[in-house]
Amino acid sequence: MAECKAPIPEAALLDYWAHDLAAGDETERIETHLFACVDCAARLEHLAALGIGLVTLVEQGRVSGVMTRTILNRLQRGGAHVRMFSLMPGETVPCATFPGDDLVVAALRADFSGIEAVTLSVTGAGGSPLARFEDVPVSGPGGEVLWATSAAVVREMPSMRMEITLASTGATGGELGRYVLEHHAPAGRS
Amino acid sequence: MQSTLDGSDGDLARAVAARDPGTAGPAESELYRRFAPRVRWYGLRHLRDEEAARDLVQQVMLLVIEKLRSGLIRDADQIASFILGVSRTIVTDLKRLERRREKLRDVFIVPHLVTTSVGDAMLDIDHLERCLARLAARERIVVLLTFYGEKTAGEVGHELGVKEGNVRVIRHRAVERLRTCMTSREGVQ
Repeated sequence: MAECKAPIPEAALLDYWAHDLAAGDETERIETHLFACVDCAARLEHLAALGIGLVTLVEQGRVSGVMTRTILNRLQRGGAHVRMFSLMPGETVPCATFPGDDLVVAALRADFSGIEAVTLSVTGAGGSPLARFEDVPVSGPGGEVLWATSAAVVREMPSMRMEITLASTGATGGELGRYVLEHHAPAGRS
Repeated sequence: MQSTLDGSDGDLARAVAARDPGTAGPAESELYRRFAPRVRWYGLRHLRDEEAARDLVQQVMLLVIEKLRSGLIRDADQIASFILGVSRTIVTDLKRLERRREKLRDVFIVPHLVTTSVGDAMLDIDHLERCLARLAARERIVVLLTFYGEKTAGEVGHELGVKEGNVRVIRHRAVERLRTCMTSREGVQ
């Protein structure tokens, strides 16, 4: 079979898959090409496989890191058990996982007025760094930053005090809030 | 016969239409092997459901082969275009009338086709988990909102307070990084 002489650019394939092309001529042109072209169809198939893999990871709760409310809501609608701890700046909250939990989420609130992105850092015992996420987007002054960890991972953690810091990204780098999670491991693991 | 199986899509379509006992069966299987993955991603993209996409593959390919066998496809060289047209029609019908799916499946049952693999790419999910964790927070959120949240660039931008054009750039970069990471250790099998 002949090699594709006019492969669809990667960006266009991605736009097509994400429904970012206006319905009509461009979408039809791409679909016609994809059905007639083995090479481009295979590239799209790999993109689709990547998408299915990502969905599987989320559904299995294997997506530790920063989340959004949209993703969490969808997960919960799909039947996932999300254990949520909401914290205001300066607050200390005890946390633990329970049987059946899929994901543990810390909802960090602060005044995000004029802030577009933040850095989230987590330290454990003795100030040892546990995690750091830079350039995390936030939208609106009443926003929140959601830090999610797979419940399977949390279950393996010993009891510990975790300190979370949010700071605005950029030149100013001002601290927005400091939060403490007192994690209590299941009996026999602390 | 091998030359037919190695031939163009049109050659395969003509072999199915000719209904030669020694060639038609293998030609049908080869036609299915080539086009089932394309119908499947078409279904995934438009129906957003794996099971529905798998059903679509069966419905489309069975209808296409029925039409070929019946001599109702005049230009065999346009078989790809014909399969796309059937896919579009059935997806439209599925969206409009969910029940139609069950009905078509009951009407057309060809066991040797139903059991054929669509040959879709399988991912090493553990490796993908590690690759995803390596993305920057912003990239990670954008790909999750795109693929899991099924959001367009405009919707992602609205949620994150980022311009649509920037979302597209971040998304493209993130997918490239995931691909590179996955292939760097034969993540795609």
